[in-house]
Amino acid sequence: MHSKPIRLWLSGALLAASVSLAAAQGGRQPFQQPDERQPEIYFPQAPRPGEWRKSLGLIFTTTPPELTEEVRVSVPAVDFNLQKGLSKKLFLTGRLQTQFVQSNLGLGLRWATPLSDRLFLSVGDDMTGWFGALLIKDVFNSQAYGLQNFPNLSLGYRLNRDLQLTVRGEGILDMYYRSKVGTLAVVDNKWQVNGFAVSFVLEQPFYGNQHVSLGFRAAYSNFNWQFWSLYDTFDRNLFYPQVIFGFIL
Amino acid sequence: MRVIPYVLISFLFLVFLGCRKQYEAPVPYEFANAPGAGRFTAPVRQSIEGVYGVTDGAAQFGEQVALKWSYVLDGADTTHFLSIFTGVDVCFFNLEVEPQADILALTGYWRKLVNTETGRTRLAVRVKRNGQLQRYSGGLTAGDTLVLDGVYGNRTAEPTQKLTFTYRRPLNQKPFSILAHRSGGRTSDLLSVSENSIEIIRLASRLGATGIEIDVRYTKDGVPILYHDNSLNLRLIQKNGLDGAIEKYTYQQLQTFVRLINGERIPTLEEALETILTNTTLNFVWLDTKYIGPMDKVQALQQKFRQRAILARRDLRIVIGLPTQGAVDAYNALPDKENTPILCELDTAITRSLNARIWAPRWTLGPQTEEVLAMKSENRTVFVWTLDEPKFIEQFITEGRFDGILSNYSPVVAYYHYIGQ
Repeated sequence: MHSKPIRLWLSGALLAASVSLAAAQGGRQPFQQPDERQPEIYFPQAPRPGEWRKSLGLIFTTTPPELTEEVRVSVPAVDFNLQKGLSKKLFLTGRLQTQFVQSNLGLGLRWATPLSDRLFLSVGDDMTGWFGALLIKDVFNSQAYGLQNFPNLSLGYRLNRDLQLTVRGEGILDMYYRSKVGTLAVVDNKWQVNGFAVSFVLEQPFYGNQHVSLGFRAAYSNFNWQFWSLYDTFDRNLFYPQVIFGFIL
Repeated sequence: MRVIPYVLISFLFLVFLGCRKQYEAPVPYEFANAPGAGRFTAPVRQSIEGVYGVTDGAAQFGEQVALKWSYVLDGADTTHFLSIFTGVDVCFFNLEVEPQADILALTGYWRKLVNTETGRTRLAVRVKRNGQLQRYSGGLTAGDTLVLDGVYGNRTAEPTQKLTFTYRRPLNQKPFSILAHRSGGRTSDLLSVSENSIEIIRLASRLGATGIEIDVRYTKDGVPILYHDNSLNLRLIQKNGLDGAIEKYTYQQLQTFVRLINGERIPTLEEALETILTNTTLNFVWLDTKYIGPMDKVQALQQKFRQRAILARRDLRIVIGLPTQGAVDAYNALPDKENTPILCELDTAITRSLNARIWAPRWTLGPQTEEVLAMKSENRTVFVWTLDEPKFIEQFITEGRFDGILSNYSPVVAYYHYIGQ
């Protein structure tokens, strides 16, 4: 059994290992100017002012055994990212994830700066709203929606001219939740810490000029919007592993 | 060189997968389970039941609680327990009497089912008379107020934090079925006993249940047993190298090689019904049909224990749940099906066509007030399943028209039912 402090320590150690790896290679000759850009979505570097960048892909999230017991459900969500540079270091982020019966729209602001020619940092905050509705004869007459906030910190490292690694840590805050079955509804509008997540994403070329994001996200949280219809009642951080794949357009 | 990042990210992924936290909530108190009730005579026990205000400990357990006695029978011995149901985090107290104490004393533990919080507690029953707390030994007079005061602690630590409950009013006496899912609750709620075990059946009343739902499957050699999942897996059983469908194994193989997650044997349906009849006060059993195929063996056991309950003058209803069209077909193939009590989980039309006396829709369809009232006007009982969200449990009890709720959280169903006015 791992206690929470041990897991937090481990997360920190992983982050530190990534930074150390970056720092260890940081003494090499610069191979690229810091303000040069590869096609990227996760990498903590702002688009040039006025420039748009976008990606389209899929996210696979696996259900924790506490919720679906012997069954493992991994329904893909379509994942669309849109970003716009506001200044040299500041940019807007937008993200839509959808499984059609449930969707999540996020808007955020991020500030990014190079720490060296290889190492980059960003801090930001994303606000997301999610909505789900299920109407299935004799099974569901349910809807739910909510608001969550994700303060985040990303470290990016250019491993070589084509390959970029991003490590992102996020806090997950619940701000609002409303659930309705038939004519009954419950609301929870207390702000509370829901959990945290750590992502590791590689961005690289993929056949010719196409670039992709490929990574995973480990979320430890009480609630995950994709599984609102499972009506999780646990006040425990459950593990939601996610695999991320997206084409940078 | 390019391979290193991929190896690193794969390694990190494996590290994170290996970090799935295993939660535990061991019971911090060992019950003596001494038969009898000591100084807690029947009138004293009856006077203690009720809704109490929480003076000390409200931050942890909420503003009010419901106190209810239950007991377990073992031959001629009766062992009494006091349960306290709170409205916070599906928290309950389980207390036994201290027969050696020279006052009315109770000791045990509390547990919050939504998380792993638990701790020990000790309480004494006293009476507030003319503004003074006095020893209570039964016999309340006008103006008297019962007070349970004592201490609670966290985990196995010696209890030191003050706890005071002050009597407010009697429990809601309206008939209502508090049905515990999987014989008492899910294994994932970290109870001390496994779902669908004999041990949890004996515990169910202390968790607030008046009835239980149990999952019935057949072994390879046709013995009806209690087990929920399609396969043997580490969610429900201890590691033993066996896997696959439980129907692949004979009863003897399961008895020899398989232990449930907390060490119990997988019980047969007959053992479960025997326990319910002879050791508990449960008055309702919902046999959930998890098998595909003939229902005759389950029907035979149902009829056998119905007869035994009638002879023992036990108020006990045993019904076969029909969750699928396959189960309906198996029921329709039975001889003497008219004398086989059933519960239909399908729509109202099928319920009527089967003349099922109980209709049990899913809670995710909402209160369905019109349909519920129509079914009740036809003298049918209506339950809703499997409802665990505490806020919705409160709403279904206060605004719904149901006769009972099936839940993994029977303590919170008990709380909202008993505090009703």
